[in-house]
Amino acid sequence: MFPNVDGFHWTFGHILFLSIFFAVLLTVGFTAATALARMMRNLRPKKVAEIRWHTEFEDLPASDRQCRHALTGAAPGRVCENGFECRHCADYPKFSGTAPEPQGRLYHRGHTWVERQPDGTFLVGLDELGEKLIGAGAQVELPAPGTRLASHDVAWRMGKPGNTVRLLAPVEGEVVETGSREKGWYLRVKPESPWPDLRHLLGGAAAAVWLDREMERVQALLAPAGMQPTLADGGVLVDDLPKAQPEADWHAIHGAMFLEP
Amino acid sequence: MADMVSTLNRPAVADREWIARAQDRCSTSRFLLWLTPWTLLLAAGLYAAYLCLRYGLHQTNMDNRFVFGLWIFLDLAIIALGAGAFFTGFLLYILRWKELKAVIATAVIVGFVCYSGAVLVLMVDVGQPVRAWFTFWHPNTHSMLTEVTFCISAYLVVLSIEYLPILLKNRKLRKVPSFLVFEFEMHKLMPVLAGVGAFLSFFHQGSLGGLFGVLRGQPFAFREGFGIWPTTFFLFILSAMAVGPVFVMLVTRLVEAVTSKRLVRPQVYQVLARTSGLLLTFYVLLKTIDTLVWLNSTSRQAGYRPWEYYAWEPFGTWILFAEIVLLGLLPALILLSPKWRARPGWMLAGALLACAGVVLNRFVLTIQTLALPTLPFEQFLTYMPNWQETATFLGVIAYGVIVYSLSYRYLSLFPQEKELAREGKEASHVS
Repeated sequence: MFPNVDGFHWTFGHILFLSIFFAVLLTVGFTAATALARMMRNLRPKKVAEIRWHTEFEDLPASDRQCRHALTGAAPGRVCENGFECRHCADYPKFSGTAPEPQGRLYHRGHTWVERQPDGTFLVGLDELGEKLIGAGAQVELPAPGTRLASHDVAWRMGKPGNTVRLLAPVEGEVVETGSREKGWYLRVKPESPWPDLRHLLGGAAAAVWLDREMERVQALLAPAGMQPTLADGGVLVDDLPKAQPEADWHAIHGAMFLEP
Repeated sequence: MADMVSTLNRPAVADREWIARAQDRCSTSRFLLWLTPWTLLLAAGLYAAYLCLRYGLHQTNMDNRFVFGLWIFLDLAIIALGAGAFFTGFLLYILRWKELKAVIATAVIVGFVCYSGAVLVLMVDVGQPVRAWFTFWHPNTHSMLTEVTFCISAYLVVLSIEYLPILLKNRKLRKVPSFLVFEFEMHKLMPVLAGVGAFLSFFHQGSLGGLFGVLRGQPFAFREGFGIWPTTFFLFILSAMAVGPVFVMLVTRLVEAVTSKRLVRPQVYQVLARTSGLLLTFYVLLKTIDTLVWLNSTSRQAGYRPWEYYAWEPFGTWILFAEIVLLGLLPALILLSPKWRARPGWMLAGALLACAGVVLNRFVLTIQTLALPTLPFEQFLTYMPNWQETATFLGVIAYGVIVYSLSYRYLSLFPQEKELAREGKEASHVS
């Protein structure tokens, strides 16, 4: 068929068919090459963190992606399509109005929190529910001081052999000191700007409602199929849930609560 | 004690780190037990394929007259059933039917398995796999098979590229930054691949049908058409598009039944069934017109009395009735009717009948066409596949089951699975 093949003569049919065929092949090749080129361009830690969070957020069920304004009742049923990034949400001002930004401890939906310190640094920790979900005696892998964190990226890892979870960074900045469970915080972070925009975190009434709902979620996840949740009357969770309920599927529960697919 | 309780209540999943957190999968030992018979079947298939490649096609029951046997018939059938990959991709990425996101991964894997399986069998059938490149360098430019070969090869490449992002979403693999970013970037370019896939599928599905329609020496299959394309070209495309969505639904329902899990919302099945119902109705209408034209014009002009073809048992007129009415019109009506479609049993029956109809259509065009005598001195030919042919094909089925099983276990195929499991748990609490 091709040149240098005995008996080959170009015809209009050959040219048309081969042109279409190779155009298709070129399109496929070009598409794959474009993806590779973009991959090479985006292999920067900050961009990788952004993409990781984007894909993980996309995998979350709608019920886990409730908008903060749905939690406060300002926009009932609204589902976040923005990776919980209120900083980039066009509708944020519409729902929050001129209300002042909440102060004090601010929560990431992955159960980490951040608290501004007088020296301009931020303490980052794991909330009480998060600690109970992981349980006592967990191994903690903290990043070394000097490590740069991006919002929603992996801040540190903790857990037990065979089931380690990654905790998400609530704020971007440089790790300047590491803490421990005993200290009540795990990282001290120096943000890139003295007053970072923390609108993507929950505080005040929204945080209170969210924490209540998270408690309900834990109860539902822990209740064996066919059994009623047992803490709906206001009971208090034990300190080490995996130890108290070893038969539960902790891989799935940790995945659901710490937003890890 | 705690560990003991844990062991007693939850089966050991040694490969848990490779499975997405929210996916509840069986224990490793149970999974290996499930794979064992399929692996044995695959081994038998590989041995049969080796015999055919080593000693030649006389290892099969095909001969110079009966050149298309079980392999080509089932190849055509699985290529039609695998059309769900391109068509679902087209509906999701080009027409933006977002609800189909729930089944796109399964559609791609089913397509990949069907096409790669068909190509594997073709390589055994054609023989001399080392010279496979000849078909690209020395093709017969007057044969529809050239177009089929080029398009299927290119489409298999497209399917492999489409499968790659699904593979890279594995829990362990996505931890590798380059895999994560490549998957993300590929996903953004998926509409391009969906468009290319639809283009390639349109032509190779059509050319597979056209292959029979241009057989002037086989008046049972020969059809008039438009330009160089006989009517079978268009009927093959349409029938493949019609059954593709319901085959994806059948596979998903089968997985749901085997695993006792809900994986996809019923609304998605409704969309798939309705789409298939509409296309199948259109196909049955065109097939009926085509058959009437062939009975009353094409065949008679060639000097044949068409009803005589149906005098050769077992291929009586029942086969025409079964193909057009029982496995065509009936499932089309079931899938089109919102009332019947709403009942899972009816919907499944409709889907099964529709798929069986297309398989029968491919059987008629390959096996019945070759079996019928054309010239006065010819005899009615009979053919029965031998164990080598059967084992080779069963090996491909086993390959498909193994690929799908591994994908189901280690990849996140069903985005609604997590939420449906949670809803199921909540429902059990309420009840």
